[in-house]
Amino acid sequence: MECSFGLTGKDYVLLCSDMSAGRSIIRMKSDENKIKTLGPHLAMAYGGEPGDTNNFAEYVERNMRLYHIRNHYPLLPESASAWIRRTLAESIRSRKPYSVNLLLAGYDTTTTKPHLYWIDYLGTKAVVPYAAHGMGVYVSLSTMDKWWFNDMNKREGVDVLKKCIDEVKKRITVHFNFNCILIDKDGIHHIDIESEDPITELESQQPKETLVDAPNPPLDIGNVGVTA
Amino acid sequence: MELNGGSVVAMIGKDCVAIASDLRLGNQAVGIASNFDKVFPVNDKLYYGLPGLATDVYTLREHLRFRVNMYRMKEEREITPKTFTHLVSSTLYEKRFGPFFIEPVVAGLPTPTELDPHPKPFISTMDTIGCITTPKDFAVAGTAADKLYGVAEGLWEPDLEPEDLFETVSQTLLNAVDRDALSGWGAVVHIITQDKVITRTLRARMD
Amino acid sequence: MNSVLTQLQPHQSRLEEYDELEHTDAAAWGSMAGFGNLSRTGGVQGMSVPRVSDPTAFLDLHTDNMSSNPEAKIKIAHGTTTLAFKFQGGVIVAVDSRATAGSYVASGTVKKVIEINKFLLGTMAGGAADCQYWETYLGMQCRLYELRNKERISVAAASKILSNIVYQYKGMGLSMGTMVCGWDKTGPQIFYVDDDGQRLKGNLFSVGSGSTFAYGVLDQGYRWDLTDEEAQELGRRSIIAAGHRDAYSGNTCNLYHVKQEGWDFIGNYDVNELWYEYENKKKADREIATASAAAAASPMAVEQ
Repeated sequence: MECSFGLTGKDYVLLCSDMSAGRSIIRMKSDENKIKTLGPHLAMAYGGEPGDTNNFAEYVERNMRLYHIRNHYPLLPESASAWIRRTLAESIRSRKPYSVNLLLAGYDTTTTKPHLYWIDYLGTKAVVPYAAHGMGVYVSLSTMDKWWFNDMNKREGVDVLKKCIDEVKKRITVHFNFNCILIDKDGIHHIDIESEDPITELESQQPKETLVDAPNPPLDIGNVGVTA
Repeated sequence: MELNGGSVVAMIGKDCVAIASDLRLGNQAVGIASNFDKVFPVNDKLYYGLPGLATDVYTLREHLRFRVNMYRMKEEREITPKTFTHLVSSTLYEKRFGPFFIEPVVAGLPTPTELDPHPKPFISTMDTIGCITTPKDFAVAGTAADKLYGVAEGLWEPDLEPEDLFETVSQTLLNAVDRDALSGWGAVVHIITQDKVITRTLRARMD
Repeated sequence: MNSVLTQLQPHQSRLEEYDELEHTDAAAWGSMAGFGNLSRTGGVQGMSVPRVSDPTAFLDLHTDNMSSNPEAKIKIAHGTTTLAFKFQGGVIVAVDSRATAGSYVASGTVKKVIEINKFLLGTMAGGAADCQYWETYLGMQCRLYELRNKERISVAAASKILSNIVYQYKGMGLSMGTMVCGWDKTGPQIFYVDDDGQRLKGNLFSVGSGSTFAYGVLDQGYRWDLTDEEAQELGRRSIIAAGHRDAYSGNTCNLYHVKQEGWDFIGNYDVNELWYEYENKKKADREIATASAAAAASPMAVEQ
């Protein structure tokens, strides 16, 4: 019982995930962050088999960090998606496969384009403008089909996301709390999707205040190497 | 196969071959993406299609790209359709006891050589563990394979010119996938001739 | 006692207690006029059942009806999107027209709305034969009710006849999810009746494999005070959304509007053509919006 969405806009990508965690029918937590930031402009919303999820997310996180340290610049979304896909594809034919589905969202600072990837535990990857995992697939994909359009600004994007969340709350018998991030050229921002107008709140604050702590801050390496 | 859906068809014409696929990537009944290519080029005379489990489409494609590049470097020439078919086949058989869930289709025009100045257009298809068949008319694979057989059997005729072959392969694909719930959502056709490859996306049913 | 059903092997429902009245001579009740096989509860006796020790397991083994055995040789036609909602102007009923057997699209021109009478519509989801048979039978019962009582049956009563019937066959593999829609003395009504015997009254329902996708558009666009045109468009748009995403729905959309004077068939629409139409409209609207935004932006620049 989980639910996540992602959608791309003109110069940003939104990622949203439920926050429930538990065991069988019991919800043990309703404020668990299931979005992992993987770099200054890269994050993923993950779900699946409890245990596998966190382990895999941290494995990906550390490898992204390793790449960043070795090369002095972070892995771009496209390449990160290929690496994650391959890791899952190799895992599925191993003795103990990871059972993790994820949405990978990133902002490519070199091309200034948002990216979104739908990836499942088999290593299936789809390059999509908007996507959902879990319960959201069934009720909110059609909502996005109708209201999503090309090159949306941030406010329009958040409106579509709100519609999706509203639909989940209306039709799915389980109650979900959601947390949400927005990735743009400045980095990863936290968004309060429950508030009336999250974008005004976001814009009224100093960019620094809304930023989510990325695990891979730009390295202070002086003049060594190339930075993106 | 039935998890992600998708189909590929290839046909022989007069000094040309055609290979076409749908663009659907599904998760059982739910359509996820309508931009999922299943047909890839090896070079401008040789294409192959990989309908089946989507994760294996990626994996096998990466695998084959690596092996074709190695072949190119060692042999310093392009791989022929026939050799490529055997390369795919042995790649599949390597996983005999845990196969890739893919039924590849290969379509290409062999380059004329001294020994064979007038080579015939070539198509082939394999099962999931690499058993090769080389039909003289058309090859089909994927969730709409049985429907594709039916339509292709009725529409195909020998020695079609590139434009007529395009029409035949397009009609075959479109009408077959309309009878298959798990294929469709867009289609792409490649016609390979000696001097160029024509690639067109078709306006397919989106339901 | 001239019903074909009564000639079939009589079957005593597992749940029904022995009813003495059922076994008295039919003549004692006067004319049986076509309802001789009806028990007092509205249920039907006399369906033939396979002569095996466990008929349910038999059906389960050979058909893909009860989902525990999807690989069974006999594929029963299913996969559907149907919806109905009440609004200020009556009831909108919209359905798709695809029937699938496994992944094979068996037909793209199925009529999934059953016209029970001038004021009643039934929708069809699940087993095509189950819905067709029992809703036709429901039509018969509604006509008989009219003749006996000299007034039209209410939607509530009609749907209850149906739910009582399917409840008697509960657990035996009937597969149907239907909405009985109509207009009676109390106004527009929708009742959802399914093979569990569940019967729900409501304003807005969608049933079938594509129902969740239909809800996704329907819920976000629904208001009670929709105009007739808006409501028809919303019903149509929701079916197109479901036809697009769900592999087992699509082909065409049939649209009905139930009003006080009875139902109207609004039209049959190709899902694919409408989908392209909506996509083109979305693009065109976007171009107009960006063009007007650009036009509005320039005087601002002048002012500054």
